[in-house]
Amino acid sequence: MKDFFMQRKQEMKCEEFEAIGLDAGRDSSLSEAERTAAREHAATCSHCAALQDSWDAAGVELRAFAEDTAMAQAPARVEMRLRQEFRTRHVSMKVRRTAVIAGWALATAAVLVGAVSWVNWRGINSGAAAKQSKTSQVGANPAANNADVANNNAAAQPDSAESETLLADNELSDFTLLPGSSPADTLDAAILRVRMQRSSLGALGLPVNEERASEWIQVDLLVGNDGLPQAVRLPQE
Amino acid sequence: MRIAELERDDVLLRRAAKGDEEAFLLIYRRHQAAMYRFALRMTGNTWAAEEIVQDVFMTLMRDPKKYDPSRGALGAFLYGVARNRVMKHLERLPREVALEEKNEDGTGSGVVLQDASTPASWLEKRERVRQVRDAVQELPVEFREAVVLCELEELSYEEAAQMAGCPIGTIRSRLHRGKALLMAKLEMLRGVPRRASAAR
Repeated sequence: MKDFFMQRKQEMKCEEFEAIGLDAGRDSSLSEAERTAAREHAATCSHCAALQDSWDAAGVELRAFAEDTAMAQAPARVEMRLRQEFRTRHVSMKVRRTAVIAGWALATAAVLVGAVSWVNWRGINSGAAAKQSKTSQVGANPAANNADVANNNAAAQPDSAESETLLADNELSDFTLLPGSSPADTLDAAILRVRMQRSSLGALGLPVNEERASEWIQVDLLVGNDGLPQAVRLPQE
Repeated sequence: MRIAELERDDVLLRRAAKGDEEAFLLIYRRHQAAMYRFALRMTGNTWAAEEIVQDVFMTLMRDPKKYDPSRGALGAFLYGVARNRVMKHLERLPREVALEEKNEDGTGSGVVLQDASTPASWLEKRERVRQVRDAVQELPVEFREAVVLCELEELSYEEAAQMAGCPIGTIRSRLHRGKALLMAKLEMLRGVPRRASAAR
């Protein structure tokens, strides 16, 4: 009884055969039992056997067609066109890449030049500041200052040095008050270093040696808020 | 790196993406014939097949990153692209398709038979092949695809299903119906009475 049911289960009907049995040999999704059932069905059913023959014949025809086109391949011009396109595409990409690299290189160079210029400018500025502070320090030492002044006097042209302004030290004790000035007027005064002829001291109310009246000397003037000189400091000779 | 590794499709494609023309041509020469055959068998038109092959490799050239080696072989990817192009081509086509293809010089379909024992048998075989080709071209697209993939390209049902993007059962059913239609068509052409009822 059990064998009878097993046999029934393995039997294949014509509809099933048409659906899955025709290509059972190569359909790997079928089980071995299904393949056997398909073979057995084709052996016993003349209708399905004819169908199988027709199917196989169609397979042969299709294989002939497949063989006929088996050697077919794209013409050489396709490869040529692709090759051309490839070159165009990659050459333009290379050019674009080069342009980008060149752009970055130029930008980097510009930044570097800017940085170097800025560093140089900073160096020059700090050098000038150092020089200025050094000059100030020099001004604080009267003896050295006078020596420098003497050197400057020898080298400088009288007309160009007329209005030369330098900051001197803030030590007011060396100053001589001009006639008509009081010490209170000198509190907010500024020191102005000028070069003048000795004879000009007379105009400030100071005595002048007539023999040396034409000499050029450097004088520190203490100028008040009203712009008038309040005191004078003469170089030590 | 070994030679086999150097010649792997994904390695070649990486090289091609960096501008290595030889690598690209190696890929092309490796796959063009299969793509061309598939396109030719699907469209029945040498010009269309040529355009489709060119399109497939242009796509690969323009955007090689579209191919992901972790998702399968390059051949399968190219088949997928070719299939899309074929479908687009067939959608654009008018219903009446000229099945007889001529070469540029106006001769034949560009197919050369290997076996030419006698002129009569050669002609007979050629006529049979022409009938099969015509019959294949007249199949509905999805049946034609199943027949081309399983019978002409000799892919397994699994591979064909993967290629067509459908379950194996669908491929099997399409193949059966396509082949049944084909049989009916061929028997009709030859004036043979139908022996089978598979074309239902």
